Amino acid sequence: MVDVLAETTTGTSAPVAAAPRRGPGLTPYLFLAPYALLFVTFTLAPAAYGLWISLHDWDYLLPGKPFVGLDNYQALFSSTSPVFDFFWQSMQATGIFTVFSVPLLVVVPLGIALILNRSFKGRTVFRAVYFAPYVLGVAVIGVLWRFLLDPNLGAVNALLGAIGLPDSTAWTTGLPWAWVSLVGVTVWWTLGFNAVIYIAGLQDIPRELYDAAKVDGAGRWAEFRHVTLPGLRPVLLFVVINTILASSNMFGQAYLITQGAPGVETRTAIMYIAEEGLRSYRMGSAAAMSYLLTLALLLISMVTFRLFRTKD
Amino acid sequence: MKPHLSRRGLLGLGVGAGGAVLLGACGDDGPNPVVGGGGQAQPAATNYTGPNVALTFWNGFTGGDGPVMKSLVDRFNSENPNIKVTMNVYEWADYYQKVPAAVSTGNGPDLGIMHVEQVATNAARGVVLPLDDVAASLQLKEDDFSPPVWRAGVYNNKRYAIPLDVHPLGMFYNKAVLEKAGLDPDNPPKTKDDYMKALDALKSKGVQGHWATPFPFTGTMQFESLTWQFGGQLFDEQATKPLFAEAPGVQALTWLTDLVKNGYSPKNVAQDADLIALQNGKAAFNWNGIWTINTLKGVKGLTWGVSALPTIGTQPAAWAGSHNFVQFKQRTPDANKLQAGKVFINFISKNSIEWAKGGQVPARKEIREGGEFKGLAEQAAIGSQIDNLHFPPSVPGIPDAMATIDTAINEAILLRKEPGKALADAAAKASQILEQNRKKYGG
Amino acid sequence: MGRVRGIAWYTMLSGLSLVFIAPVVWMLITSFKTPDEATRVPPTLLPQSPTTGAYDTIFSGGSQTPVLRWFLNSMLAATGQALLVLAVASMAAYALARMEFRGKRAIFALIIATMFVPSFVLIIPNFLMVDRLGWLDSLWALIVPGAASAFGVFFLRQFFQSLPRELEEAAVLEGANSWQIFTKVILPLSKPALATLAVIAFLTNWNDFIWPVYVLFSPGNFTLPPGLAILQGAYTINYPVIMAGAAIASIPVLILFVIAQRYIIEGVSRSGLKG
Repeated sequence: MVDVLAETTTGTSAPVAAAPRRGPGLTPYLFLAPYALLFVTFTLAPAAYGLWISLHDWDYLLPGKPFVGLDNYQALFSSTSPVFDFFWQSMQATGIFTVFSVPLLVVVPLGIALILNRSFKGRTVFRAVYFAPYVLGVAVIGVLWRFLLDPNLGAVNALLGAIGLPDSTAWTTGLPWAWVSLVGVTVWWTLGFNAVIYIAGLQDIPRELYDAAKVDGAGRWAEFRHVTLPGLRPVLLFVVINTILASSNMFGQAYLITQGAPGVETRTAIMYIAEEGLRSYRMGSAAAMSYLLTLALLLISMVTFRLFRTKD
Repeated sequence: MKPHLSRRGLLGLGVGAGGAVLLGACGDDGPNPVVGGGGQAQPAATNYTGPNVALTFWNGFTGGDGPVMKSLVDRFNSENPNIKVTMNVYEWADYYQKVPAAVSTGNGPDLGIMHVEQVATNAARGVVLPLDDVAASLQLKEDDFSPPVWRAGVYNNKRYAIPLDVHPLGMFYNKAVLEKAGLDPDNPPKTKDDYMKALDALKSKGVQGHWATPFPFTGTMQFESLTWQFGGQLFDEQATKPLFAEAPGVQALTWLTDLVKNGYSPKNVAQDADLIALQNGKAAFNWNGIWTINTLKGVKGLTWGVSALPTIGTQPAAWAGSHNFVQFKQRTPDANKLQAGKVFINFISKNSIEWAKGGQVPARKEIREGGEFKGLAEQAAIGSQIDNLHFPPSVPGIPDAMATIDTAINEAILLRKEPGKALADAAAKASQILEQNRKKYGG
Repeated sequence: MGRVRGIAWYTMLSGLSLVFIAPVVWMLITSFKTPDEATRVPPTLLPQSPTTGAYDTIFSGGSQTPVLRWFLNSMLAATGQALLVLAVASMAAYALARMEFRGKRAIFALIIATMFVPSFVLIIPNFLMVDRLGWLDSLWALIVPGAASAFGVFFLRQFFQSLPRELEEAAVLEGANSWQIFTKVILPLSKPALATLAVIAFLTNWNDFIWPVYVLFSPGNFTLPPGLAILQGAYTINYPVIMAGAAIASIPVLILFVIAQRYIIEGVSRSGLKG
């Protein structure tokens, strides 16, 4: 995957040799050192510990933490195990959410960023407005939207009723409405986040490239296609990966707005993993699920990278 | 205030996650049977004469009950100059997450409150200490409490909890709405026939009288109450198998589901919408916890009442939770603190009439049957159900199995599955979970 | 642009704005309603009898709910973490984007791979670590561990890679060393990205409400999210109080963002190649 990353992210400028450095190459390690210290302590070591946990029947409060080998992983593929149905149901929920939210969250913010990157009066205000929801934490947007989306008492249905539309849609308890709500709320909430990243990326595209395109008589579309998109490529890749990760890790919205309803239809993988590990204290099993999800995401991301590369 | 579900419930998932690592880390003295702290054969815990000690007391009394407990604590401090109790309040879900973590790092409180269904799990996992000696030295026994409440604090033949209160479900009703439908606002229905008649009368006035909520608060509690009313049980006594999918459970869930099918309840009721509907006159009845007394007292212009649940099945029964005192395991047990803690538990327990004023039913019989409690009209109305309350079996991990019921209720009331099928599916899952827990906790 | 097009332009932008801002405004309006009006059906648009009762409730909590203290703690933790992220991630990202060294690919792969591990798996091991460091119940626990996230490094590396190399080469010819190139060339060129990352890091920390629950014990050490949870637990269907709590947690950050975004966009030079 890193190969792909490296290839796709080679900038627009001509390839140049690595910046020359003095000394026998200690410099890069010195630059890395402060982060590396934090990374090893608070991310790498804990992640490795998690892997170890997944090989055990692990409840930290119980003295015996028997080693069970790959049993926790095997259970995820055995249809008679207690976790099988729930786990795959939750993976399916995560899949549905990711498939519908990622394209929207990649494309719509790009459009908004292009609009907001033009210069016009009041641009600052509009930027603040579109970003505003992201400032609210998930705890806030969860409570807010459950209040607004209440099928019987909420403002959304009241508003729809007032303009003559159906006013009893089961936004939080029915299908497919619960998914519409969760995807919609998430797009509303995090769109500004991706838009801001795009805007920062647009700032980095040298003006000269646009000027050159103009000289060549390129239209708006050609300009977008041949200057903006290539210039945004590293940033775009970042946005795609980050959005896939964010969507596949979704659980706050579902927990607060739909509570997994109807039934366990909107209970996402992370929600179920958290229940298994932190409420039922089966951390070994939960860790195994986590790493299976990790594996699935790595595969999906690699496929995405390939697509990304062959597209242009 | 709700017992332990938080709208920020992701936290609820975290119950105790962190702590145990440290418990493990600070010397494997293992889970509870081995606990040495505390000291047996303590003198009577009604007074404490040792050196000055400071105790920390954590709980989740964030609502109107918080200040009530705080003033009891203040009174205790002024009457016991050599003991200083400091109280910290957290959201319940956060509390259950935080406490085991804190306990195991030596940052834990001395005293706390736990809901009855959490006791066995926390005992099995070594978070709380046995309190048999407290019960003994305070000369507390089953007769002083209500038997099911008292028994619910025992795990593996050891007592881990001293009941403070019970908080049952009651039937709250909006008097103005009843009047509008020509019903007597001071005489709410008590039987199934009366209840259905009332619902019909309300329906004819365009009011959907009982909003059936598909969510645990309080849909699952209503289902459980009804299951007991129809003579059923959720689990067998040792929690070896689920019984909630048998005939009484199916009858119970069918009745709730029919409320929706027959138009006595709207479809797709969201979390808390049932209570809001009662408050703004869209519904007439809401079966809710006793904590709702405080909520409704704060609503201006609402005339409401509360009574025992009507008997829909063959016998009266109601869901209840219970707050219990616990003492937490410490890295280094301090006999003085443990002793002082017992004095504190006894004090609050004796003065639980004050606690009842905050919207609870005292667990202690002498107080529940005293004149002062009878004077608290709402509490006493709900408290009249004391002999008809049920608690889940005191088995570690029981909340995991009970979570399957939530799903069944949700599916049935949202009309996605027939009640019988929803319960049967849940029971199959619950069996697997119970078996898994038996293996894990060895039982 | 032409007048008609101008009007169309602003109409479109404003219409879109409404979608984004209306729920936030609704939150504010609700916070000034009385509890029963807040849940009325159909809802009232503006408060019939506006009241600050909800805010009074929140601020009168006393020692159990010291809201201003929580606010201050949140500010300190979020600012501290944002600064730490900027410092460590920018240096690491620069090395990964611009230098060649042994193990570079492996290191980058490792960093990226950890992004795919659900973060809650890390909670317990990290809790243990923080206890060993003696940081429980202190703001250090909120500031430092989160700064190890791979996000900042990945984010900045992608940005640094898209910067043209010509300026660095010029600096090298003038005899600048790596540190000078980093601080005098790369960082100034990356102001938009750095400001964006700062805002993101700040917000991530500001809104985190799972980790603080584990590591903070004393009410006086709380940050806003776990603090406000106490209020939400207490006032389940008192929506004015809940919305007022949400407003207290969000409005100051919103204002900060409006100020900060000038740095993200306005007045930040485009790539320095222009000159």
